Amino acid sequence: MSKRMVLLGNEAIARGIVEAGCEVAVAYPGTPSSEILPAVAKYADELGTRTAVEWGVNEKVAFEVAAAASFAGKRSCAIMKQVGVNVAADALMSVAYFDLAGGFVLVAADDPGPHSSQTEQDSRSFAQFAKIPCFDPSSAVEAKHMVFDAFDLSEQYHIPVMLRPAGRVNHCREDVELGAVRPGDHPAKFVKDVRRWVCLPAHVRLTHPQLNAKNDAIRQDFESRFGAYNYELAAKKPAKLGIVAGGVSFAIVQDLLASWGREDVAVLKIGTPVPLPEKMVMDFISRHDNVLILEETYPVIENQLPDRTKVKGRHNGFVPRAGELLPEVIEELVLRALGEPGVPGASPELKAALEELQIKPKPPMLCPGCPHRASFFAIRKAVPSGIYPSDIGCYTLGVNQRMVDSVICMGASVTQPSGFYLAHRVDGKEQPLVSTIGDSTFFHMGIPGLVNAVYNRHAFVLAILDNSITAMTGGQPNPNVGTKLRKGDVGARVDIEGAVRGCGVGHVEVVEAYDMASGEKAVKAAWEYAKAHQSPAVVIFRHPCMLLRCEQEKIRVRVDEERCVGCKFCINFFNCPALVFDEGKNKAVVDDRFCVQCGTCIPVCPHGAIVRVSEEA
Amino acid sequence: MQYIVVGLGGQGILFSSRVLGHIAVAKGEHVMGSEVHGMAQRGGSVVSHFKVGPYASPLVRAGNADILLAFDQNEGVRNLHFLKPGGKAVINVHKPESLENAHLQAFIKSRNIHIALIPGYDMLRQHMGGNFLFLNVLILGALAGTGMADVSMEEIRQAVAELAPAKARDANLAVLELGYKHFAS
Repeated sequence: MSKRMVLLGNEAIARGIVEAGCEVAVAYPGTPSSEILPAVAKYADELGTRTAVEWGVNEKVAFEVAAAASFAGKRSCAIMKQVGVNVAADALMSVAYFDLAGGFVLVAADDPGPHSSQTEQDSRSFAQFAKIPCFDPSSAVEAKHMVFDAFDLSEQYHIPVMLRPAGRVNHCREDVELGAVRPGDHPAKFVKDVRRWVCLPAHVRLTHPQLNAKNDAIRQDFESRFGAYNYELAAKKPAKLGIVAGGVSFAIVQDLLASWGREDVAVLKIGTPVPLPEKMVMDFISRHDNVLILEETYPVIENQLPDRTKVKGRHNGFVPRAGELLPEVIEELVLRALGEPGVPGASPELKAALEELQIKPKPPMLCPGCPHRASFFAIRKAVPSGIYPSDIGCYTLGVNQRMVDSVICMGASVTQPSGFYLAHRVDGKEQPLVSTIGDSTFFHMGIPGLVNAVYNRHAFVLAILDNSITAMTGGQPNPNVGTKLRKGDVGARVDIEGAVRGCGVGHVEVVEAYDMASGEKAVKAAWEYAKAHQSPAVVIFRHPCMLLRCEQEKIRVRVDEERCVGCKFCINFFNCPALVFDEGKNKAVVDDRFCVQCGTCIPVCPHGAIVRVSEEA
Repeated sequence: MQYIVVGLGGQGILFSSRVLGHIAVAKGEHVMGSEVHGMAQRGGSVVSHFKVGPYASPLVRAGNADILLAFDQNEGVRNLHFLKPGGKAVINVHKPESLENAHLQAFIKSRNIHIALIPGYDMLRQHMGGNFLFLNVLILGALAGTGMADVSMEEIRQAVAELAPAKARDANLAVLELGYKHFAS
């Protein structure tokens, strides 16, 4: 009774998680991993499993919750993007040493490119660092199979196992076989054993050698038992080139060779790069004079080779050390490795046309009607000479309004103003500081920084842009929303204002984000308070995200051409996709293809040229 | 068959490859595609890849696409390099005059590319009160109307009926017809 359906890679992984009998799944959203957990909830509902499905407040929380469920004997998994593994790393490094009870899988989704991340780090390196095994899928179908093997391997060796899909697998669409939930009973039963569950140094002296022994045994398994993921596509003719490839690069190489009809290139596919089945790879290398290694994004397979003399890879600069290995890049690399002429580059005619027509790739922008745009505008008006640190989320796009000066990682909008404050204070200077953070990011990692700023008395304004959703990743609920994923599951709402006051902040004001005059006033008052009390002050800008499609008043606007002087102030500081500049007329115009009639742009124009349409009619 | 679907984040371009995938799988074919999610979706350029047949990887290599579907004229022009010689494109145009550019026409001629233009925004202003979220079905209708792909209007109609949300089903089918009739008589 199997059924084939076209699934997103993330849905295939989710289906695998449910079919594998995983009973506790916890995640924090982050591209390219975000769609996995909602799909786990969907399939768990459909298949009627008991699986607990939860968004954790951050990745460390998610990892620890899932890990402890494994201590109690359950199959569990934690799901996150690659930079989420940085947040969870403290727990990961420690749990790796544990002799786990239930199967425990960490899904770490990488983002070569990057398309939606602050780094291009390779989670397989993290698997190596933590000494845990890693599966690297080349397709959605393979990712689903690997989920089963990851749980089985984890249970066999009592070790956390990483599944590392890269974004092209997460967001590929492929027809996938749907199965039933696999039989298996994993009752909750925590067997107390301090040597197993308490990471005292005395215990670690025993568990670390144990971890090493597990790695040696797993490496042996990968050499022999996992032929479905590690195999050779032999060349039919004497091979001019041998390619060792993993992940999406392997799939691209396969298509490339098929489209060329080439039979003189051999390929070794490696789906279990950590610990590397070293004998298998070295044997392949020994049989080929010319070897190319293709993997994303760090040289993880390459680094594990005892001898790289014959290898063309990242160590000798043959393969680019940054960026995604797109089909065009791989095509060029394979031809160069073969010593054959490359493909002609971009057509000069098309290039000339794009230049003359001034067609450039369009960078991402805040959506039309986004409340953040209005909040940023109000903040600038209130404190024009500010330094504006910000955070990870849609509001990073406030950079287009020149309202984002520095971003590090989740939560660092609350700590950076502390550093800016101290740097100026030691010079005896006063520097206005307004930071921006979203509601989900505030709960993720904003609270420790806020407690720190209250305790150490740092003067700045923290603007919490509360759009009641985790927006950038597609609209997941968070503690501020209070809803949960599985049918019938009820969460509790955690109030931001209360949390802020609980951190010891003495000045908190909530404003409607579309009301820019009130926003400006609130930020001014907050900065006055911060200076006077040498303490952080908080303004919460509230308005639902456009993705939630809440009903709101429609206000049609147009640009009055008589009043518009062509100064581009609205374009540069409001930056709405629906406000565009007509170079011919030297005027701003409203583009009805994108305008959602929110009306927030009306007060923006210093010349009063943006006017409401209905007022005049 | 290899498709490239391009547009701007928020235009709903992913629905068209869902429809094409649905049809192919019903015929027992293997499908593979690649989508863009996350920050790149926020109003910026988006490129989605979609392949039907015995392919292993989700990405279309430049110069190998059979068909380009462009929800935005500029994005369409910017991604013409994906088409193979003799490839075909459906482009939603809002400034058709700029396509007369001499370099562009030389490129199109040299690659023997066939382009079908559809004034999608104008059509949706006229028929759907300016609800541009219907661009995806309009373009699918146009694809069927031009006969470019090896999928019939009937197959697309059925897939859209199955995949569109119940509330918007009739409206989607009406716009699909609109796109179809723009090319087929």
